Amino acid sequence: MKVVATYSIKGGVGKTSTAVNLAFEAARTGSRVLVWDLDPQGAATYLFRVRPKVRGGSKRLVGSGGELAGHIRGAGLSSVHVVPADFSLRHLDLHLDGTKRPMARLAGLLDPLREDYDLALLDCPPSISLASESVFGAADALLVPVVPATLASRTLGQLERFLDGDADAPTVLPFLSMVDRRRKLHRQLVDDLTAEWPRLLPTAVPAAAVIERMGVERAPVGAFARSSVAARVYRDLWAEVAAVLWPED
Amino acid sequence: MAPTFSHPDRPSSVVVDTLVRKGFEVSASQRTTITVLDTFDGRLHQAGLRLTLRRSGPIELVLVTMGAAQEARLSWSKVPSWPSDLPAGPFRSRLASVTKERALLPLLTISADVRTLRHLDHRGKVVVAAELLDHVGIEDADEAQAAELPTWLVEVLPVLGHADAAEAAVTRLGAAGLRAQPDDLVALAARSVGVPLHGRDSSPTVPLEASDGALDAFRRVLANLADTIDMNLEGTIADTDPEFLHELRVAVRRTRSVLAHGKSVLTTDIRDRYRDAFGELGQVTGPPRDLDVQVMGWAAYVSPLDSADAASLETVRVELDARRSAAHQQLSNVLRRATTRDLLDEWRAWLSDPDVGTGEHEPIGAVVARRIAKAQDKVIRDGRAIAPTSPAEMLHDLRKDAKKLRYLFECFGSLFPAKIRKAFVTQLKALQDNLGDHQDAEVQLAELRDLAREMHQRGSVDADVLLAMGRLSDHLDRRRQHERDDFAQRFVAYDTKANGRVLRQLLHEVADA
Repeated sequence: MKVVATYSIKGGVGKTSTAVNLAFEAARTGSRVLVWDLDPQGAATYLFRVRPKVRGGSKRLVGSGGELAGHIRGAGLSSVHVVPADFSLRHLDLHLDGTKRPMARLAGLLDPLREDYDLALLDCPPSISLASESVFGAADALLVPVVPATLASRTLGQLERFLDGDADAPTVLPFLSMVDRRRKLHRQLVDDLTAEWPRLLPTAVPAAAVIERMGVERAPVGAFARSSVAARVYRDLWAEVAAVLWPED
Repeated sequence: MAPTFSHPDRPSSVVVDTLVRKGFEVSASQRTTITVLDTFDGRLHQAGLRLTLRRSGPIELVLVTMGAAQEARLSWSKVPSWPSDLPAGPFRSRLASVTKERALLPLLTISADVRTLRHLDHRGKVVVAAELLDHVGIEDADEAQAAELPTWLVEVLPVLGHADAAEAAVTRLGAAGLRAQPDDLVALAARSVGVPLHGRDSSPTVPLEASDGALDAFRRVLANLADTIDMNLEGTIADTDPEFLHELRVAVRRTRSVLAHGKSVLTTDIRDRYRDAFGELGQVTGPPRDLDVQVMGWAAYVSPLDSADAASLETVRVELDARRSAAHQQLSNVLRRATTRDLLDEWRAWLSDPDVGTGEHEPIGAVVARRIAKAQDKVIRDGRAIAPTSPAEMLHDLRKDAKKLRYLFECFGSLFPAKIRKAFVTQLKALQDNLGDHQDAEVQLAELRDLAREMHQRGSVDADVLLAMGRLSDHLDRRRQHERDDFAQRFVAYDTKANGRVLRQLLHEVADA
């Protein structure tokens, strides 16, 4: 099982929509997918139409007797399962801090499921905290949405510096998100960011009404607007991520 | 297995009426074909997996772990022969790790009018689904086979975390008078047309008692080997995957070896006639099998070289592959000949009505004990005669001796207590591995040198390739020498008093039975 986290220190950059749409694409192309919603807002849980309830709260989930299997729910989409979020996750840092090895705790919870799933997608809340470090300890790759904004480069730089020197750190896969090419400033910033961060994945996710409609449809774009540009973009983005996770034999 | 229901006398509309009354929504009916794929020997089934290709609107490969909640789906448009036909990713690697050198084959194709019934909760999420399969048919099934399968079935598909909804659906279908089926659609369909989902068995071992008459026991062992030859013939001719030839070749050689051991049981003319015939057949399987081994193991074969040398040998791999194809073509031509078919038919006819030999009433236990003792004596005698300077042919002969001994244990294995037999065979196998690796290196070295000469004469090879072939040849020679040096130690480990005691114990058990 590969573990990928959609992660950014900044909020509102498209982490959840990326997690949900890539879960859909991964499932469509042959993966057994587990989405673990770690954000107390529970947006991924909502989009997958799963009841936002962590039985016993996040304390029991990450505590010494905790396990993930009992929390997993079918998403109503073939090949996608979800560990839902609820508001108790706002104390995740605190509850992780109470465990013996907090940085390895999330990886430890995923370990028993390694044979059951091909991909675990962790949808993270925006922050850099103990929970983030536990995510870094579990993830093979961090998928980092970068919006065309002047502070975006600085935020990505902070993350790279934080992980620098850690031999076991996940691979950082930044990509442009919420790009509006009609705006001159966006075009300029995209050019600047691409020049500054050559490791940006080639596919940029546009700011699109069809992505916003996910909240109404409560489904990934590919499920209700298969032929849309956004659906194609997520297909391409997933192909790029999959090529990193499972290089051609 | 998904809970499955049907009823021989009631229409499928009962399902729709029952579930719609409870709030299920129903999709339109869609004619769907479901092709079940596995290797010839059922590796996916044995690993607890089921692979199907579903064609309705979209075409999908579906890989299910039996008994688990999770399945994998891959949009794909045709029947794959190999996992490598699929895009890189977990779907492909999960299949490849199980199927290995075996090709995927379509085992059976089911067609049905499929409607999906789904129950949604207040969030609009599916909490249980059911698939109604109506007008079920199986491709190429005759009337009697088709009659064994219900004309319609419904499978309840639980959603993880909503067991109560699935249980309620099952209860409702039961209360509506429908009958729970012992298996799901695929298993029922496979049974009705006699397709073994667990795969075809090429095991040489048949159930025997030490007190069984020798002739009947030989006949059963040889008939089982004839079955193996027959069932692998088509796949060998079509060159479907290398295991067909391997299984066929080993069955031919075992047949010949068992015939040789039947001196006191089978008539001389039968033994001579079929030993010669199967000997010839065995010989034509040699070159394509050797080349199969080389081509399949190419990556390991060139792994001691640096990447530049390995890359420059790509032309050699292509050449070997061409030789492999040509050798298979020659073999296919022989196997297609009427004389080959006649041989196998006549052999079958004899097996079903064998001539009476001289020792047919002797118990098989005593015959096999005697033959094993003799075969072991030969292995020990020939092995002890090999000195560090002995020619390679002596190792090759010993390899054949060891194989004959091993075949006896395999073909008549059911006569022996499994645990002690396994302990002895493990020792024998360690010796065989050394002799086999030595022989493989010899064969590959000869093939490589022959290829280098031929390519050089044709002028179709540049200096870099010849140099890389030289380096590979050096490596093979070192490997050959390493195995040769290792032989003495391996043989001493086999030729021990303890091993002799284990063998005597085994023979004592069957001879006195």
